[in-house]
Amino acid sequence: MTLVLLVPAFLLAAAAIVLVGPDRTRHARAKIAAYPVGIACLGAVGTLYQVATTGPIEIRFYDLSSVAAFAIPIGFYVDRLSAIMMTLITGVSVIIYNYSVGYMFQDRHARRYLAMICLTDFVLICMVSSSNLMMLFLFWQVLSYLLYVLAHNHGHAGTLAGAFKTFTLLRVADTALLAGIALAYQLYGTLEFQELFVRATETPIALSLWPGMEMSGATAVTLLFFVGAMGKSAQFPIHLWLPGSLFAPTPVHALLHAGIINAGGFLINRLAPLFGLSSTTLHVAFVVGTVTAILGASMMLAQNDIKKTLGFSTIGQMGYMIMECGLGAFSLAVFHLIAHGLFKATVFLNCGNVIHKARQEPHFPHVDHQVDEEGLSRLTWFTGFVTTLFIPLLILLVTHGVLRIPLLESQGTVIFLFFIWITSSQAILTLTRLRQVASWKVSAAMLTTLLFIVFVYLGAAEAFTQFLYPNPDDVASYFKAAALPDWMFDLIIIVATVLTIASWSYLYLTAHGRTVRMPAWVEGLRIRLYLPFMNRLYADEMYQLLGNGIMRLVHQLDKLERGWSR
Amino acid sequence: MSTSTLIAWLLAGAPLVGAVGSLLFWSNPDRLKLFSIAWSIVSLGLVAGLSGLVGMLPEGFLPLYLLPLTAMISLLGQPAHADNRLSCVMTLLLLGMGLCVLINQPVVASLALLLLFCVIAGLLYRHHSVLWPMSWLGIGTYALGALCAGLSLAAPAPLSSVASLVASAVLLPLMPFHDGHLTAVTRLPGNLPSFVVLLLPLLGLHGIATALPTIPDTVAWTLSLFALVGAFYGAVKALAQTRVRLLLAYGSLSFFSMLWWFAAATRSATPRSALLVGTVGLATSGLLIAWQVVRTRYGDDVDPQAVSGLAFGMPQYAVLLSLLALAAMGLPPFGVFAGFMGLLLSAPFPSSGGLVITLLAWLAASWYIMQTVQRLLFGVRRAELRYTDVLRTELAALSIVVLVLLALGLAPATFFAPDQTGSAAHSVTGSLVWNR
Repeated sequence: MTLVLLVPAFLLAAAAIVLVGPDRTRHARAKIAAYPVGIACLGAVGTLYQVATTGPIEIRFYDLSSVAAFAIPIGFYVDRLSAIMMTLITGVSVIIYNYSVGYMFQDRHARRYLAMICLTDFVLICMVSSSNLMMLFLFWQVLSYLLYVLAHNHGHAGTLAGAFKTFTLLRVADTALLAGIALAYQLYGTLEFQELFVRATETPIALSLWPGMEMSGATAVTLLFFVGAMGKSAQFPIHLWLPGSLFAPTPVHALLHAGIINAGGFLINRLAPLFGLSSTTLHVAFVVGTVTAILGASMMLAQNDIKKTLGFSTIGQMGYMIMECGLGAFSLAVFHLIAHGLFKATVFLNCGNVIHKARQEPHFPHVDHQVDEEGLSRLTWFTGFVTTLFIPLLILLVTHGVLRIPLLESQGTVIFLFFIWITSSQAILTLTRLRQVASWKVSAAMLTTLLFIVFVYLGAAEAFTQFLYPNPDDVASYFKAAALPDWMFDLIIIVATVLTIASWSYLYLTAHGRTVRMPAWVEGLRIRLYLPFMNRLYADEMYQLLGNGIMRLVHQLDKLERGWSR
Repeated sequence: MSTSTLIAWLLAGAPLVGAVGSLLFWSNPDRLKLFSIAWSIVSLGLVAGLSGLVGMLPEGFLPLYLLPLTAMISLLGQPAHADNRLSCVMTLLLLGMGLCVLINQPVVASLALLLLFCVIAGLLYRHHSVLWPMSWLGIGTYALGALCAGLSLAAPAPLSSVASLVASAVLLPLMPFHDGHLTAVTRLPGNLPSFVVLLLPLLGLHGIATALPTIPDTVAWTLSLFALVGAFYGAVKALAQTRVRLLLAYGSLSFFSMLWWFAAATRSATPRSALLVGTVGLATSGLLIAWQVVRTRYGDDVDPQAVSGLAFGMPQYAVLLSLLALAAMGLPPFGVFAGFMGLLLSAPFPSSGGLVITLLAWLAASWYIMQTVQRLLFGVRRAELRYTDVLRTELAALSIVVLVLLALGLAPATFFAPDQTGSAAHSVTGSLVWNR
């Protein structure tokens, strides 16, 4: 119990150490503060062990029977999900904090910045360990403001505009979350997570929004929660704040992309039993996630700035994660966000080196096609064929036979596996850029490694699912709730298959000098799409237009009333 | 005379005695300001010590504490100057009358309210300028308030309730009686705007606490409608403003209208309502004091668009203004958020549309307040501006506001009304029609 409280307490202490003291000891204090951050990380690991062995930890500083009597009921509920998130956040924080101490050395605002980093970690830890929706919302809101402050540079107009956009867009989503909380309390009379799940399951409520249209209470509440999660997880069309905040110092992005942005995924997982009651919300999540994944990845390909590329990559990955939630694969979403968080933090912390190197070496990054290259060998093609068309089949068989995941009853898993197939094929297509795969040894090593990674990943994901949701019935019920209509399921599978095979065929034929007859508009599509994707689908401009439109309307309404502003 | 009546007279009389006593220092603005602050602290001490002996107010004890505290803060935040002498004296006078309205017998309270309306209208008339013809509307609204206060005293039952409600709507601004609020916040001299923005709404809340339970359904429905229109109207008007005091007046109108909506739905004014009204008033008061800091440095008629980059040269001011802005826009962990959430979670929503409008108005506050604060604090540092950080008294005033707002955000709602229990958890079963 004490361990749980020590984690946020040490982070707060670190912030205080950095903030309080004379200016001449600034750097020394910044270094000293790394220790409490490290201890907090150890505390989180200890908490994870404790929770895994003895079950959830509950600490409440309020009376359960009158939760609304307290303005803000402070309490902690740490289960396996919370403990994992705490470990991830503090682990990443240790790295980011230590990196930042050097990165911001001699910067005028280093003290404020480092304190803000510690404070953000504190807020994140309190948010993921909240025992009720009210406390979660409190820290959720504070996080929105801290993001605004962190993505801030007083004197730079672009940064200010980006920070303001970040704050206002997140507030839009936060308002939906607040509405969801108020509605949940009205319908179920509690904001305590466990109590809320029980009451929502036991008392199905129908809401009549207008005559002739009914919606279940769980759907209304989860839809509002989902909009709240969309904001923090940068889902289309509320994703614009993420690229808008890219002027912030690089370590902030490491923290943002590894920790803060996972808040949406965490919220959905925390409320998984509630989301599991509403197929409609899960389907909406699936659609929003898929659209975000596709658009995010496409826009990423067209960016010419390393931070923007990584930013849109994150948007795509978050879309992928939300899509997993929409398929009922909640634990996989958490697994994904952990893996993505670690990966993206590493990449962001390294991107400064890449930029530095590019400035020093005129030939870096490498210019493609400098010399005429030979075509791909048969072996290369064979390797690619096996990895993209044979291995997926093997994975399906292993998943069904060895891991005993009932694929026939679980649409979500199948769609998920097919989506993996598409994305891994897309990755393998980069083979066409590799000219080295020309020996059996390399080919065999590559296939073995790939198989190893895939099976370890599958095994790890399955083990992680069992760790996070020990009751297999829960997992099955989520998959069942997320089941799509048969025609849609068939369509997704067919489209995935056709797309992958067609891409390979097209690539193979064009590589061998064959002419593939395509309508002119299809040929020109890639070029025509490049410009809008490079300009991020003009979403910034549309938001600007929307903002201007609202303000025009406001001024017109203002003029209508012959009041004080005349 | 019973003990509670005696104490009520003592609490209300102390600031009035202070107001008279302050006239002794009329020739010395510094000492006058110091004396007024000291007397408001004495008043706060008396309230803290004796409020337990006064009968419980429907809206709890919070207004009793907030009135002398805000009087003290607003006095602290204004510079000592010959032009501000009247506002110092009037602060104590209005404080005394305010306390009298809250804790005295109904007849005395109504008379005190009548007098208070007259004083405010008189002050506005004294500071009326031909350049601001709209202030006639405000003066007229307060005259109407005075008339209604008189009617509530003299007229028979149904009419007296309606008159009391209208008087409350002038104090705690509700469309179409909001012009008084706008005039008071923008036109009163010295520190008075930062005091009356809390005083009058709290008195209005006290009025509706007694009037609302008796009104018929039709009136309650009409009030809800006006409240929603007011919340939307206040937010829209605030978005369109560039002048800070007007922006704050419209912004607070929007928040007070939300309170009217909740109050009309529940037909009551609870300690939670007092928390919302008190914290909105206090946050607005803090922002008015913060704006006064800018006016002190760059002139009374300073254009907010001509000021920027304060965060560079005035770091303490920047931090305090940011925190105040957070509180005013309803972000946790400050009191406005706690009050708003308290009402959201305690009152059953009368309509989904009303909830949407209320939430939109709450959201709009992030836009107009944040935009103004960002414009002032950040952006280009101007060479023509001399940046001087807050003085000790200004720092104290703004810090106290922030700390009190924080404390009110974290304290339990039952803290100022021990006999009021938190709303029992309730839940809906079966089908719920939610489309009115």
